[in-house]
This record gives sequence, structure tokens and C-alpha cells, in this order.
Amino acid sequence: MIQVTNLFKQYGELIAVDHISFDIYDGELFGLLGPNGAGKTTTINMMVGALSPNEGSVTINNEGFPTEPDVRKRIGNAPQSLALYDELTAEENLAFFGRLYHLRGKELEKRVMYALELAGLVDRKKDRISTFSGGMKRRINFACAVVHNPEVLFLDEPTVGVDPQSRNLIFERIEELKNQGRTIVYTTHYMEEAQRLCDRVAIVDHGKILALDTVENLITTYGGTSVIEAELESLPDESINLPGRLVGLHLRVETDTPLEDAMHLVESGVRFRTLRIDRADLETVFLNLTGRRLRD
Amino acid sequence: MNSILFLALKDLRLLARDKFGLFWVIAFPLLMALFFGAIFSSGESGASRLSIAVVNESSSSVAKQFVEQLQQSSALSIRYMSHDSARTLVGMGKLAAFVELSDSAKQASSFFLKDMPVIKVGIDPKRKAESGYLQGILTQAYFVLMQQQIMNPAKIQQAVDDLILQIDSSSTINPETKAVMKRFFSSLKQFTEYLSINGADSSSSFLEASPFASPPIEMEEISVDVDKPRSSFEITFPQGLLWGLLGVTMAFAMSIVQERTKGTYLRLRIAPITRAQILAGKGLASFLACVLISVILMTIAKLVFGVRVVNPAGLALAVVCTAVCFSGIVMLVSVMGRTEQAVAGAGWAIMLVQSMVGGGMVPLMFMPSWMKVLSNFSAVKWGIYAFEGAIWRGFSLHDMIFPLVVLTMIGVVTFTIGVTILMRYEQ
Repeated sequence: MIQVTNLFKQYGELIAVDHISFDIYDGELFGLLGPNGAGKTTTINMMVGALSPNEGSVTINNEGFPTEPDVRKRIGNAPQSLALYDELTAEENLAFFGRLYHLRGKELEKRVMYALELAGLVDRKKDRISTFSGGMKRRINFACAVVHNPEVLFLDEPTVGVDPQSRNLIFERIEELKNQGRTIVYTTHYMEEAQRLCDRVAIVDHGKILALDTVENLITTYGGTSVIEAELESLPDESINLPGRLVGLHLRVETDTPLEDAMHLVESGVRFRTLRIDRADLETVFLNLTGRRLRD
Repeated sequence: MNSILFLALKDLRLLARDKFGLFWVIAFPLLMALFFGAIFSSGESGASRLSIAVVNESSSSVAKQFVEQLQQSSALSIRYMSHDSARTLVGMGKLAAFVELSDSAKQASSFFLKDMPVIKVGIDPKRKAESGYLQGILTQAYFVLMQQQIMNPAKIQQAVDDLILQIDSSSTINPETKAVMKRFFSSLKQFTEYLSINGADSSSSFLEASPFASPPIEMEEISVDVDKPRSSFEITFPQGLLWGLLGVTMAFAMSIVQERTKGTYLRLRIAPITRAQILAGKGLASFLACVLISVILMTIAKLVFGVRVVNPAGLALAVVCTAVCFSGIVMLVSVMGRTEQAVAGAGWAIMLVQSMVGGGMVPLMFMPSWMKVLSNFSAVKWGIYAFEGAIWRGFSLHDMIFPLVVLTMIGVVTFTIGVTILMRYEQ
């Protein structure tokens, strides 16, 4: 388990992380969702031991601070920036980082091959990183974090600037790693990524955690009602009791159970020319919590 | 230790794959050394004269005429002095050679220049080019003198008369031979009398075809063992070498700041290695690169351009201490800004000033005295000084201690400052 307690980091007047506390359970995929500059990367850097907090502490697997070498061996980190040596090949990059984690000989070869397969770049292993596309670099950046087989994985915006193909591959690999029982901390400002991958999500803004729960619970608690917007083919019989508000042929219904309500209308004999259901999502949750959109 | 080595090897591999960086580290310093070396070399052999001493202790008029002939040569700058002074100055490398004419030396057995003493030349055996050049000038002067003798029939007649008298008085030549020789020389005398009456033609085939003997030159080898560079390359290679080290410094300083900006430094920081190991890896990489560049350039200097190494152990120490010095400077330069552009700008500005003040562009000997004082604050000055000390200044290990200690101290101090600032950045 990872325990973050009262973490605080300040740069001059700017408070980057403001006394945040949370626990991450073993095998959990935990998301930090927030706009750029919310304090996600600073939090991650303190969690991996690269940055000293002004206050607070981080404990990983109840073994101590992430600055201790034994703890560090169990951590993998894919930084937001492409932290690779451009003039080394993909294989050389992976082998170099593997050696820093004391992998040697056959074990190193095996792990490098595993990481290359994970990144889907076995056939490009002898090519220098400088010849790779942005998506390929992002995948190798991700693979470097897992080459030493860490128990805990920190992924800081791992899909920034990648093509849809690479993004899907990264998602699949993250799900594979989660299924293997690894604990994964994932930061993103894409709500759909958090919604697809994360067991629990902490919504972060201005260095604070605004809400923390499962995606469903966050939507239920902070998302508000869903909306059905429909254009009817004709006015229904007066015997049908329509929910919501009907103006001409335009029907608007606010409800917590949009699918059930839409099905009930169809079964009652209401015919739709157009039908749209706006369900609440994490974007709505963030909007409701902060008054701003995630990408503002 | 393995981690430090892996870090260092990674950096060296990156340097080796950066062709543009390699140009500044190896090719540019080499080109500089060659370019300026060639310019200074051509100046030596073309515009300037060969400085020699002439020791004329002969009382013969021929010797005097020979010296006058040398004096007319535009290829020589002549100073007259005693044998001891000449030998000392040649030994110190302040004169290229000395030419001595002495009555005590055996006389040359030339028919036309019979009073000509043997020409003794003292020169360092390693000055092969100058030696050949000087012998050519001496031979030219000798033949010019001989030609003058031939062009004077009265002198030849006098010489023939002297010979006939010597033949008459000789007790070792048998009478038949004496008769043949006297007939021959009498005929020669008649021929010269004919020339004297009808006028001589200096361009006649007779004169050109005369079987003259080689000039009587004896060579003496005098080794130069004191502080003067024998070729311009002995000055320009230490300068070029320091440019190479400046190139290494900038390459590694940039690599450190790139590690920070690209995020690879973050990966290193969270790996199970200490900060000290990371910094030691960086230091080792730049140290090895500096040593490698020094060895490559010095090998080329020695094998291709004949640059000597008077003190090999001193040179090894100079390489090591200079590498320590510039490895420290790498760390300081790398923290002179937070971005690559800032470090590149500040780094090259500092390196160029260091080089300019320290004799990396213009040798210190040509600088005004106030600039020489200022140069004491330049690592480049101490680096060049240490290399020159080992290459041609003839420094003993004791003489080298001071520059080596200064270089090491610069390295330690700059490394410490650099690491302190880097740790602040990490906060």
C-alpha cells in the first residue's frame, strides 16, 4: 500500500501541492485527474522520491520512504517528458536503465525483450530513438519504466501527444500490468482515460484533492442528473403521461435513469425523430466541482 | 562501482555518436593546431634567416674570404663569437648551428683552396632540415670561392709553381713520376698563361667540368636540452589540445543539462543508486573523455609532427590533472543555467574568455605583461603551461608540481560549487 500523508510543496509564493493525503491499495489503478498545473507531476515526483516535500510523507508498501534503495528497486516511473537517450537504440536505452536496477546477463536480456514486446517495438530494437515517431518514443518511455519488473508503477501522462494506435496499445498494456497485480498510479488530464482505466480517481486542482472515489461514485455524487433531449415525430396521445417538459415537438427530460426512461417512452408508443442522452461524466464532475472545464 | 561505470560508458557512447560534437572535440582542435602550426612553420623557413654562429680562428686569407662569402648569404643571420660561446648557444637552442674555421683543424686538400681549413659545423642531430639547408649554403659558398680562384690565372700560376717546387723537393716521388707530373703542371701553367693573355670565359665548359673536390665540411652533433620549442607544432598542439578539452567540457556540460531538461536525470535520481554515484559517473565520463582526447592529439602530434615529449611522466600527470580540472569545470558550467540555451551561451562565453586570456588563441609570450598576470586566473593557461612543461620546456617533476596542483584545485573547487548548485536545483 502507498500512504501519502499531508504532503505539501511550495516554490516561493506558489503552493504546488497543498497538504494532500490519500492511500493507494495494492493492485489498484489509481488516477490523479486534473488540468495542467494542478500539481499532479509534483505529487508524483514526491511519491517517487525525486523531490523532497516541505511537509508530509510518502510510504510505499509500509517499507519506508521512496528514497531508500530497497524501496526504489520496486518502483517504476514513466515521466511525462520523453526521458530517453536519443542517440542510443531502443534496446540500449532499456538495457542501460535495467543495469541501473542491477539486472545483468540473461535476466537483463529477458527483461529487455519483455519490455520491447510490451512496447510493440521488437523489430525496431536496433534503431536509435532519434529515428522514432512520437508515439513510438512514448511507448519506449513507458517500457523503460517496467524493464526492471517493478511492483509499483507511476505513469505521468503516458499518452500525451500520441497517435490513437499507440494510445490504445498503451491502454492495453496498462490493463495487462494491472491484471498481473501491480499497483499503478496514473496521472492524466484526459477524463476519458481515467474513466476507462482507473479503479479510483482523485480529482486535483490547485494542489488540492477536490474529490476521491470510484468513477461511478464520483459521477453519482458530483455529476448531477442526465438529460434526454428528443424531437418527436408527432404529438403523443393525451393518455401518455410524458415526463419532463414538452415545447412543440421538443421534449427535454432531466433524470438519474436516462436509459430506463427512454425505453419506457418507446414502449408507451412515443416515436422519436431524434434522440440524445447527455450522461454525466468526470468532465461534468470537474465542472461542477471547480466551475471550469478540465482543458480550460 | 558498476553503476558509475555504466553511467560513464553511456555518456562516452553518446559522445561518440554525436558527430557534430566529435568535430569540436577532436577535429577542430587538430585543425587549429595544424593551421597555426603550418602558418608559424612557413614563417620560420621562409621569411626568417637561419641563425648561426661563425667561429673564425683561422689566420688564412681563404678562411676570411669564405666567411665574407657566408656573410653575403641572405639565408643566414650570422653572429661572430668564440667556440665556447657558440657551442653553448647552440646547446641552448638559441642558435641553429655554429660554423668553425680553425688553423688547428686539418687543412683541406684542395688544389685551388689549399689553405682552406676544414669547416666544422655544430648542430643538433634532430635538426635534419636545417642541417641539410646549412650544408647546402656552405657548399655554395665554397664553390663560389673556388670559382673566384680559378678565374684568377695569376693565382693558379702561383699555385702551379708552388706545386712544381714541392714535386722537385719531394723525396718520396720517384724520378719518372716527377718528370711526368712536372710536364703536366708545366702544360697547365702554359694553358693558364694563354687564358691570362686571351681572357677567361667563366661560362666555358672547361670550368664547369672541372673535377672539384667536395668542400671539407665536418659535422658535429650537439643535442639541444633546454627550453625552446623546436617547431611551431610544439606550441600549437598544447593550444589545440586545450581547445579539445574545452570542447569536451561543453559537450558534457550540455549533456548534464539535457539530462535535466529531458527527464533522464529524473530516471537516474529515482533509480536505486545514490546521487554521488550519478555525479561520479558524470565526472568519470568527462575525465575519460578528456584523457582520451589528450592521448589522441598527443599521439598525432608525436607520430606525425615529431613533437617531442621531454618529460613523459610529467605529460601523463599533466593529462590526468588537466582532465580533473576540466571535469570539475563541466559540473560548474552545467549549472550556469536551467536550459540548454542558457548553459550553451554562458558556457561558451566563459570558455572563450578562458581561452583568450589563457593563451589558447594567442601564445602567452606575445601578450602584454598585464594580460600575463590576468592569465593566472585561467585554467587554460595552467593546462597549456603543464603540457608545454612536459613537451618542450624541460620541466622536472618538481617544476610541474605547481601547475598540476593549480589544475587539480580548480577541478575540485568547480566540481564542488557545481554539485552544490545542482542540489539546489533539485529542491
